[in-house]
Amino acid sequence: MNQHDPIVGRYVYVTCQGKTYRTYYEETGEGIPMVCLHTAGTDGRQYRHQMCDPDMAANFRMIAFDMPWHGKSIPPADWYQMEDEYKLTTSFYGEFIVAFCRALELKKPVVMGQSMGGNICLHLALKYEQEFSALIALEACDHSPGWWIYPLHHPHIHGGEAVATSVFGLMSPESPDEYRWETWWYYAQGGPGIFKGDLYFYSVDSDFRDQVHKISGRLPIYFLTGEYDFACTPEMTERTAEKVKGSECVIFSGGHFPTSEDPAKFKDVITPVLKKIVQNDPERRGQGRAMPALQGQAQSAGRPSARRVIELG
Amino acid sequence: MSRYGSRKGFDLEWIERWARCVNEDRILPVIGRFFNNRFVLGVDETEFLIEVRGGKIARISEGLTPNDLGFDFALRAPSSAWAKFSQQIPPPMFNDIWAMAHPLHKQLTIDGNQLPFWQNMRALTRMLSLMRQV
Repeated sequence: MNQHDPIVGRYVYVTCQGKTYRTYYEETGEGIPMVCLHTAGTDGRQYRHQMCDPDMAANFRMIAFDMPWHGKSIPPADWYQMEDEYKLTTSFYGEFIVAFCRALELKKPVVMGQSMGGNICLHLALKYEQEFSALIALEACDHSPGWWIYPLHHPHIHGGEAVATSVFGLMSPESPDEYRWETWWYYAQGGPGIFKGDLYFYSVDSDFRDQVHKISGRLPIYFLTGEYDFACTPEMTERTAEKVKGSECVIFSGGHFPTSEDPAKFKDVITPVLKKIVQNDPERRGQGRAMPALQGQAQSAGRPSARRVIELG
Repeated sequence: MSRYGSRKGFDLEWIERWARCVNEDRILPVIGRFFNNRFVLGVDETEFLIEVRGGKIARISEGLTPNDLGFDFALRAPSSAWAKFSQQIPPPMFNDIWAMAHPLHKQLTIDGNQLPFWQNMRALTRMLSLMRQV
């Protein structure tokens, strides 16, 4: 008998800043819509474990799309005539997420993003607060400098190997080898210059340090960061969370790619957050089953007074 | 011993043990097939010159002399940082040369011609990770 994942993929046409993008997305589950944002230079496969998790699929309609230029979403038709290199901007990224949600006619979805997908949550909270019901910002902070550098897109350097190796150490050495190297593989498959171009957003165009205090606090924001993340350290996330009204912050013993590098640990870490979102949104939760009890020692995601570390071993 | 293991001392004998681990590795001759460079591994004030041919370490020497005619690139860090890096489970911010070199952390410096460094980073990263087997 054949074995299939429950994930189904489709293409939708999304218009943003004057161009239309054939955009690939995958989805599973039923209940509260949750849009998942991949990290720089990769694609929605980073959420494959969560999308196959029956507990999550019972309460959430999970949707992971590939940004233009990423995964199975092609660049705009005239990309070869561009006079500048690819650069992701804050305005395009934010507008595209909103346009994608509208294209799928999603009503107040939850957004869960990691790394650059986490940082953009700050922009979403500042500019599009009414569009969403909650934000889950994984490995996110208000300023993450230092990553927009030439060697990541250079004709004398193998982009795939260099890009993938440069992010490998962001993962916890205790995450399973199988999944760490699968994450390496995602990075090695990115288009030329796309990782670097995304990092223009991540390191240059998205300095929110003077803006995050303006977030109203009406939209729940959950920050979760792994202790091995050297690009967005636990301290950087904590400093950001302290400035964001209505936010909660959890530091856990993982790395920068929690959904793909250690899905079992991530489930323990994210489950208390998902429970809160379900409790706050009882009308829309799926009818399948209640969220599971925790397997490990993860604590609830209450606002911390000091740094919290969750040992799940 | 902490969760992350014990500290190590670094001298030429330790570097030799590491180099022999590198040369016994069965993956490096493949991913490092075109890695032919000389780099400096700096530990505190001591500079070890590492000569790589085809992904294997052909020669190690302690200290630099005029007859070396220089090197391609150099990775320098305090012994305390290398000791953490080479533990079986390195602690956060010490598990990777990029973690140590990141401007936010400044534990490791990368000097010299960084083109061969980037070109061979996959093999170099594996090579350095074998310090955890010494």
